[in-house]
Parts: sequence; structure tokens; C-alpha cells
Amino acid sequence: MKRFKSLMIGALTAVLAVTAVGCSSSSEQEQQVLNIYSWADNFDQDVIKDFEQKFNVKVNYDVYGSNEEMLAKIQAGASGYDLIQPSDYMVGTMIQLGLLEELNKANIPNMGNIVSTFKTPPFDKENKYSLVYTWGITGIAYNKKYVKETPTSWNDLWNEAYKGRVIMLNDPREVMGMALIKNGFSNSTTKTEELEKSFADLKKVVPNVVAFDTDNIKQKMIAEEAWIGTVWSGDAAFIHAQNPDVEYVIPKEGATIWADTMAIPKGAKNKEMAEKFINYLMDPEVSVKNYESIGYSNPNEKAYPLHSEEYRSNKMVFLDTADIARAEWLVDVGETLQQYDRYWTEMKSGR
Amino acid sequence: MLNKKPVKLLALPALLWMGALFVLPMLMIAILSFLKRGTYGQVVYEFTLNNYIRIFDPLYGQIFWDTLVVAVLTTLFSILCGYPLAYYISRLEKSSQQIWLLLVMIPFWINFLVRSYAWVIILRSQGVINTFLQSLGIISEPLPLLYNSGSVLLGMVYTLMPFMVLPIYVSLEQMDRRKLEAAYDLGATPWKAFWHVTLPMTKTGVVTGSILVFVSSIGMFVVPDVMGGAKSALIGNVIQNQFLSARDWPFGSALSIVLMLLSMLLILLYFRATKASETKEGSA
Amino acid sequence: MKTLRGNALSGYSWLMLVFLYLPILILVLYSFNDSRINATWTGFTWKWYVSLFENRQVMQALMNSLTIGVISSVIATVLGTAAALAVKHYSLRWSNIFNGLMYLPIVIPEIMMGLAMLVLFSQMQMELGKVTLILAHVTFSMPFVMVIISGRLADMGKDLEEASQDLGATPWETLRYVTLPLIMPGIIAGFLMAFTLSLDDFIISFFVAGPNSTTLPLYIYGLVKRGVSPEVNALSTLLIVSTVLLVVVAEIFRRKDSKNNQSIL
Repeated sequence: MKRFKSLMIGALTAVLAVTAVGCSSSSEQEQQVLNIYSWADNFDQDVIKDFEQKFNVKVNYDVYGSNEEMLAKIQAGASGYDLIQPSDYMVGTMIQLGLLEELNKANIPNMGNIVSTFKTPPFDKENKYSLVYTWGITGIAYNKKYVKETPTSWNDLWNEAYKGRVIMLNDPREVMGMALIKNGFSNSTTKTEELEKSFADLKKVVPNVVAFDTDNIKQKMIAEEAWIGTVWSGDAAFIHAQNPDVEYVIPKEGATIWADTMAIPKGAKNKEMAEKFINYLMDPEVSVKNYESIGYSNPNEKAYPLHSEEYRSNKMVFLDTADIARAEWLVDVGETLQQYDRYWTEMKSGR
Repeated sequence: MLNKKPVKLLALPALLWMGALFVLPMLMIAILSFLKRGTYGQVVYEFTLNNYIRIFDPLYGQIFWDTLVVAVLTTLFSILCGYPLAYYISRLEKSSQQIWLLLVMIPFWINFLVRSYAWVIILRSQGVINTFLQSLGIISEPLPLLYNSGSVLLGMVYTLMPFMVLPIYVSLEQMDRRKLEAAYDLGATPWKAFWHVTLPMTKTGVVTGSILVFVSSIGMFVVPDVMGGAKSALIGNVIQNQFLSARDWPFGSALSIVLMLLSMLLILLYFRATKASETKEGSA
Repeated sequence: MKTLRGNALSGYSWLMLVFLYLPILILVLYSFNDSRINATWTGFTWKWYVSLFENRQVMQALMNSLTIGVISSVIATVLGTAAALAVKHYSLRWSNIFNGLMYLPIVIPEIMMGLAMLVLFSQMQMELGKVTLILAHVTFSMPFVMVIISGRLADMGKDLEEASQDLGATPWETLRYVTLPLIMPGIIAGFLMAFTLSLDDFIISFFVAGPNSTTLPLYIYGLVKRGVSPEVNALSTLLIVSTVLLVVVAEIFRRKDSKNNQSIL
């Protein structure tokens, strides 16, 4: 027991000593702080370092794994963040809930660099509260080795030949939205009969599904656990780079488009610095460096000519304008969300 | 009696701590479960019983039942895996005991998610086991080892193992070995001695361990997602969804309250059952 | 016959140890994998170990986790032990009520507890950070400590304590020299449990953490969307190897120590 005790005391003192050192070194000087709350790995490390030096600011970068996690935390009263990155529909919801600050456009002269498609997104029509940071479309990724015929329609996921090999996003809105689009409805319908019909259809695909997964869909496609499934375009680019047999297609019925944005939560302590950061990221040269490092689609039109040939020729990053035209945004469905959730739960418990 | 008073006061710090940091939040949850969800998922301060009425949907009844079955199975397998291990550790020399205890706990200092992904690498269709068996020519097609109820059970037992081993070890460690020797002297077979002497004397440990494992498995939702392919709905997943996709805090709170009441009831019944068997043995 | 059974038991226990370490072995292996995500084996590399030490975020997260883990589990063990000792002297009714209250935090869904605590902290205008994390971790781990130690105390009986008092020891002396040593295995088990729970908690930590207090689980869960980086595997490997080494070295020293003592005697 003595040994155990001394071991613990030793560990405790070591930890305290290290923290003490850590604290004293960080409190040397009064420096401005920018607290970012975002998805993991969403910025190039060097871009952040450059910004810190240029504006003499310390950037704290905390991460969340889903929009709803972030919303729950902000809604329950977590303050202290200056910049957040909600996705499209979440921007709409947060505006409705009064959780976002209006952007001061005078501080963001580079805002005009954004491609016109994203100047009037339906969730925030005048870019009053948010600016698109990156975006993509949920389409079908498939492995040529197992899927011989190029898929053209969502219906191909229902093909019995792929039993136990179909993967789907673990997200009720995305998957129900897909079934709705397949049946010719809006992906954000609030009509019960449309939901019912699409849900009945969706139930039939369940025996084909190997797993519902949002976080590890890439691993499952690369390791060929899944042959075909609903995948975001950016993820598809990543998968293709690791496993060239995997291709990506946007079905003829249309698909769901999504975007992650930059926005400032209500009560942010350092709003001006957040706006400076947004402006910095929208600088064409900075954005080229940033997006080629993180591998997502750049919405900065001024930056397009500066991008490398490799980045520009990637069809999963530089999506076709015709495809964008066919894609539909998810919007907040209000009270109907309960119905979506009920159907989702029923589908999962249904065996 | 008087000189025992100061000892009784030792519970005060813990009580104050829990009162401030647990009872208060609990009250908020209870209140929340009687409120309404607003159109955009905000909480509307209007009284309603609707959240509790919704739970009577047979869908949720079935999910509660499924969850219960998984939790009971997890508990049983944890006892089967954990008891012999704890028994072995408690029979070792004192210093080796501590080493073994640490060895058992160290894997759990590695992040839960990282461990679960490691299991996925082992079990998936192109995984370690399937590749190994295929290279030996034992199987031609990969076995479906992952994304089913078996893999969920495996993940749960693995994750909750320490909750079973530690209490049983603590109980075994202080068992009076003389009683066991007495049983042998009276000619009891090892099995009989174990069943009639060792097991009853370590019941506290088994009961504590079962409760910890049972209750933790009831609320589990990451294991069904990662190792079950998110294809089943357990009550933990449904509650999680109320906060992280349906944005319905009041309904989530109501589900949590019902789950808590149910767990407390089961714990109570379990205590009663084990106490009852104790008195029976005593009279026999 | 007896040894055969003994062998079977130790064989089974080693098998269980293999079961516990099987996934660990895999993640150690994959920390040397060239691929950015844990999908397939693409080749051997050291690079994740190199980049690990350049990754400011992950090292900071590790430091936060260890600090919070040690501090919170010490507090939880002290409070939980004290409470368990006191409750032993309560009447049956009160000890039942107290134990019931202690089980509640274990049965409540974590997400519920996390949210409720966040609302509480923000109502009290507390700044979210390491302090709120420690407060929360003590709250959810203390009941586990108490449950384990209560079990130990219940099995212990009162003979030795009463004997000590009969011999004229004060209640505190009895506590210090009789009760505490007797329940020490329970205290150690409780501490290990609290530390493990703290080190691995994600959901509650997610809600009560603030800017710049990211713990290791928070960092890792944040990574899942882009694929958990092999740096995390490398870090896990280093953690495992260093703890196991520490245990082994401590054991070697102890053996030497006890041998020396014996020779002096």
C-alpha cells in the first residue's frame, strides 16, 4: 500500500508542477484571445499560426462533432466562443433562436469574393449572420470492383445484389431527405403523407444496410466493408484518394447540398477579432493555402484561378454547376422534426 | 453512542457536494420534463403531460424491453468473465494483486472510442480474424462478425469489465478463508465449497458489480453505434437523439426520468431478491 | 487435481487478460501504419510519433486530462470514503435513503447530467473550464467510489473495530489504525475506478468544458469526423508502454527493497 501511496503522491506532484509551469508561461503578457469552436481539423495549422503572428492574437481552437452538440451547448448557456461554424440549416435555426450576432460587413471587405451561389443562400438570404466556409453535396459513392453498373439513381441502393453492403449516413434528416427526393418530394417536406410514403420505401432498404455511420463512413468505404452508399462529396474525394476504385456520382433525382459556415454567437467577447479572422480566411491567397491543405471545396471565386491544377480537376471538390443546380438545401422543419425522429426510431427498432 | 457522532458527520461534505451539484440539476430535469418543445427546439415554459403520454407508444415499450434484454445478458457475461479473473487475482500474493489490478485497469485508460475502433479493425469483413481464417483456408467467405447483436454484446462486456472485476475482487480479498478450509475439512467437494461458502460470502461484490454493469449498459449508446452499425435502437440512443437530432429536450428529460425510475425499481427488486435468498440460507 | 484446477483458473485469467489487451495490441500496431486513417495497412512509419510531439493541441489535451483526472479522483476518493464510513453508522432507514441518493447519479443518462450541470454552471455565472470539469468529474465518480467502499465495509463486520475500542482506542485512532487499513483495497479500487472514469469521460465533459480546457476524449471525439488520426494511436501506445513500464520498474525496486531488508534482518 505504501508503494501505491507514494506512486500516487508522485504522480500528483508531477502533474501539479507541470500545470504550474504551463500556467506561468502562458500568462506572461496581455494578449488578445480568439476562441474558435468548430469541427476538428477544419483549418490549416499554418494559416492559424500566420494569423496569430500578424494580428498578435492567441487562437484557442475547440472542437465539436455535430451541429446539435454545438447548439445544445450554446443553448444551455456556454459562452466564451467568438467564432462558430454551424452548417446551413443550423444557421437558420440559430437565427430563429436569436443565438447569432449580425456580421459587421465593414470589417469583412473580402466578403465579396464569395461565389454568387452562396451570396443568397436560403438559410441566410443576405449573408447577414453567416458566410459559407465550405460546402458539398450528398451523393452516391460506389466501389467499381463490386458495383459493375454505374449507379444513376438512388434506387440503386435498393438493389438486392448489395445486401449487407450498403452504407448510409447516421442522420435522420439526410437519410429521410434522400428517400423523399427519390420519391419526388422535397427533402424538407412537412406533409405527413409524403413522409409516410417515403418512410415505407425506406424501410425496404434496411436489409441491404451494413451500417448507419457518419463519422467512419470513409474507413468503411476504403476498407471495402461497404460497396455503395450515401456519402458527402468531400468525403468521397478523400476516399477516392485512398482507394481509387471508389467513384462518386450525383443521382438523377437530385441530392442534398450542405455548407459549413462562419458565424459569431450572441455575446461573443471578441467579435471584431472574429470578423478579422473571417476576412483573413476570405483572402484569395490565404484561402488557396487553407483549402488545399484541408481538401474541401473553396467558395472563394477570386481564388479559383490561383488553385493548383490537381485541386481544380478533382470532380469531387470542384463540383459540376449542373449538379449544384439540381441539389436542394435542407431547411428547418419545425415541429415536423418529431415525426422524422419517430420514423427514424421505428426504422431502427424494426427488427 | 455519543462518541460515534463525529464519525456520522463525515458524510456531510459528500452530502453537501451532491446536494449542490447533483440534486439541483436533477430538479431542473424533472421540471424540464413537464415543459413543451418550441418550433425550433427551444424550451417553452408551459406545463404539459404530453411528454409522458408519448412514452406509452408501444414503440418505446419495445425499445425499453430490448434494452433490458441486452443489459441482462451483458451483466451475466460480465460475471462469467469477471468472477474467475477476480478470484484468481485475490488468490495471488499481495504485491502481485496490485500489479494485476493495474494490468486489468490500464486498457481502460486508453480512450474508449479508440479501443472500440480497434475492435472494428479486428472483426470487420477484411479484418484481422477474417483475414487469418481465410488465409488458413478454414472459410472462403468472410464471416459477418460485426454490426450485429453479438458484436454489440461483446463491446458492452469488454467496456464494462472493470465495473465487475473491481467490486468482486474487493469482496473476495477480505473473505475469511478459514470458513472455506472448514468446508473442505467437512468433506465438501471444491464445487460445493465454492457454491455454498465462497459465493455467498462474496455476494456483496457480485451484487455491486452487477448493478454497476447493468445500469451502465442500460444507458450505453456509443457501443451500439460503433460496433452494431447503429442498426438497433436502444433507449440510450433514443434519449441521445432527443438532444442531438430531434432537439426535443423535454421529451428527452421525460425518457430519462422514466429510465431512472425503472432502474431504481430494478435495483430495489434485485436487492430484495438477494436479501431474501440470504435469509433462506440462514434458516436452512 | 488441485493444481489442475489452479492451472485452469490461471489459464482462464490470462485468457481474459489477452481479451482485454487484444484491441490494445491492434492500436499499437496501427500507430506504425502509414495511412492517415485506420482503414487499411499501407506500410510502416515512425512519422506519427514525430508529429505527435509537434501537435500542441494533443499534448495540451493530455495534460488537461491527467490534471483533471488526478485531482478529481483524489477528491472523489476522499469524500466517498468519508461518506461510506459515516453511513455505516446510520440506522438502516437512513443508510438506505443515502445509498439510494448515491445510486441516482449512476442511473441517470450522462447526456442529461451534462446538460443539467451546464445549465447550473451558466446560471451561477461560472466560467467554464478546468474547475467546472473537476467539479463535474467528482460528482459522477464519487458514487462509484462510495458503492465499492460501502460493499467492503458491509462485509467487514464490527469485531475488530469493537476490539480496538475495548482496548481503549479513541474512535479516531480506531479509524486511523484499524478501519482504514482494513478497507484500503476498497479505497484503491475506488480510486482506480474514479481515475479511469475521469480519464475516459466524454459526454459530461463535452458540456462543462470551456475554451482552452479540451481534454483528451474531447479532442479525440472531435477528430472522428475526419477520421481519428494515428497520432492518437501513437499517444495511446506511449501511455500504455509508459504505465506498464512504471508498474514493472516499481515492482523490481520493491523486490530488491524487500530482499535488502531481509538480509539486514
